[in-house]
Amino acid sequence: MNTAQHSARVGLLFLLGLALIWVTHEALDSKSSLSKTGYPLVAGFQNLKSLKQGDDIRMAGVRIGSVETTQLAGHRVEAILRIDKKVTIPSDARATITSSGLLGTNYVSISLGTPSRAPLAPGGEIVTYESADLGTVMTQLSELGEKLEDTLGSIGSVFQGRGGEPSLFDRLNHLLSENSSKIDTVMSNLEDITNKVNQGQGTLGKLVNDPKVYDELLATLTQIKAAASQASGFVGDAQELVAHVKSGQGTLGTLLYDQKTSDDLKAITANFAQVSEKLAKGEGTLGKLIQDDSLYTDAQATLQKADRALGSMSDSGPISAVGAVANALF
Amino acid sequence: MNPFTAILDGLGSTLVLLFNALREIRTLPRQFGRFAEQCYLIGYTTLPIVAVLSFFIGGVLALQSGYSMSNFGTKEFIGSLVGLSMTRELGPVMVAILLAGRVGSAISAELASMKVYQEVDALVTMNIPPERILVLPRLAAVLVMMPIITLIGIIVGWFGGALVCEYVGFISLAPEKYFETLRRYTDFRDMWSGLLKAEIFGFVIVLVSCSIGLRTRGGPREIGASVTKAVVTSLILILVLDYFVTKALI
Repeated sequence: MNTAQHSARVGLLFLLGLALIWVTHEALDSKSSLSKTGYPLVAGFQNLKSLKQGDDIRMAGVRIGSVETTQLAGHRVEAILRIDKKVTIPSDARATITSSGLLGTNYVSISLGTPSRAPLAPGGEIVTYESADLGTVMTQLSELGEKLEDTLGSIGSVFQGRGGEPSLFDRLNHLLSENSSKIDTVMSNLEDITNKVNQGQGTLGKLVNDPKVYDELLATLTQIKAAASQASGFVGDAQELVAHVKSGQGTLGTLLYDQKTSDDLKAITANFAQVSEKLAKGEGTLGKLIQDDSLYTDAQATLQKADRALGSMSDSGPISAVGAVANALF
Repeated sequence: MNPFTAILDGLGSTLVLLFNALREIRTLPRQFGRFAEQCYLIGYTTLPIVAVLSFFIGGVLALQSGYSMSNFGTKEFIGSLVGLSMTRELGPVMVAILLAGRVGSAISAELASMKVYQEVDALVTMNIPPERILVLPRLAAVLVMMPIITLIGIIVGWFGGALVCEYVGFISLAPEKYFETLRRYTDFRDMWSGLLKAEIFGFVIVLVSCSIGLRTRGGPREIGASVTKAVVTSLILILVLDYFVTKALI
C-alpha cells in the first residue's frame, strides 16, 4: 500500500475526528442547543437548592424545556427558564423546584394553571413558591422526634413515678389490694349471673339460650320495624300535607296562608264582635230576645193560650171538621 | 548503575530528546510524508482494536453498574455513570494502554533495531539528527491522532453501554433514557478533560518509547529488553500520570 493511500486514510480519519468533536459538542453542551429554540421566562426563588443549568422544566410531569442559566439578583436568585416555543404557560401557573427522588436531581415543576388566562410573554416572570426540601423535612422530623421523646418521657414518669410519688402501677396495686374482697364479691356475682345465663334462667338466660324467645324478639323487632316504616310513611304524608298547606292549597292552606281569607276572617271576627256587643247591650231583635224577659213572658203566655185553644179544639174537633166539610161542599 | 540513577538518567535523556525534537519543529512541514505515515500507523491501524475494546468496556461498565444499581432503583443513572466514566477516565486510559502495547512497543523495537544496527549512527554521520526524522513526526502524529481515536473510543463505549442496557434482561433501560441521563451529567468540559488526558498519555508513551529505543546498547537481544522496558515504563507512567492529571483537571 502506497503512501498516498495512507495519507488519504489519515485525512479521512482526521475529518471524521473533527466531525465527531463537533457532534459531541452539540450533543453535550446544553447551552448551545438551548439558545436556539424556545422562549425565556424568569423564575425568582429564595433558594435554588441544587438546581443547575440544563436541568429539566416539567409541566405536570411533561418535559417542556430546561434551565438556561442561574444567577443572583439582589436578595433572591433567578433561574432563566428556556421553554419550548410550542408550549404556552398561563399567567396563573406557578413554578417550584422539586426533586425527582431521594437521589434524583432537581427540576423546575410548573403547574398547569388556567387555560383561559393570558399566556406569559417571552421574558416574563412566572409566579413561584418554595417547596419543602429534604433538609426541611428532616428538620421537621427532628422536631417531631423531640416532641415524641418528651411525650414518652412523661408517660414513663407516670408509670415509674416522680419525686417520691407512687407510680401508676403502685397505685393500681394499692387499689386492688384494698378492694380485693369487693372485687371477689363482684367476680362471684358475675360468675353466678353467667352461670344462670348459661342455664337459661332469667330473661337474659332465656334470651341467650331459648330460640323461641329469640324468634319472638325477632318478630317483635320486625313489627317495630314495620311500625317504624308506617310511621315513616305517616311522617312523609304529614310532611306532604304540611307542604301542601304551606303552598296555600286547600282550605287549611287558604285559611293560613291566603291574605284575602285572613282579611275576611278578621272582618268576620270584627262583625261578630259588633254583633255580640249589640247582643250584650240588648239591641236588635235577637238582643232583646236575649236580654228582655218580657218577651219570654209574652211568649209563655201566648203558648199557654195556644195550648188552651188546642185543647178546646180537640174536644169539638169532629163537629168542626164536619162543619168545615159541609161549608166546602155547599 | 543503581535503579535511582537509572531513573534519573532516563528522565534526563528523555527531556534532552524532547528538547532536540522541538528544536527541529521547523522541519515538520517538509516531513509531511513521514508525519502522515506515522498518523496512519498510530491512528488508523489502532482504531479497530480501540473500537472493539471500548465497546466491551462500555458494555461491561453498564452491566456491572446495572447489576448493582437496579437493586436500589437507580438504574436510570447508568447512562451518566457510563458516560462520565468513559469520557473522563476509562476511554483515555484504555486507549493509552492499547497505544503503549501496540504503538509504543513498535516504536521502541524499530528505533532499538536502528540503533543496534547502527542506522542511527549513520544518520548522525550524515548530519541528520535522529530526533528530526525519527522522533518529531511520531510526536506530531500522536498529538493529532490521539484525541481522534480516544473520542471514537469514548463514543463507541457509550453505544456499547446503551446496547447492554437495552438488551440485558435485568437492566432493560431504554436508550432514550440512557442517553438522556448521559447528556444531563456529561458536559463537553468532561470530554475536553478526557481528550487532554489522552493527549498527555499519548505524548508520553511515544516520547518514552523513542527515548528507550534510541538509548539501546548492545546486540539484538537488547531490542527485546528495550521493548519490554518501553511498554512497562509507559504503563507505569500512564497510571501515575493519570492520578496527577486527574487531580489537576478536577
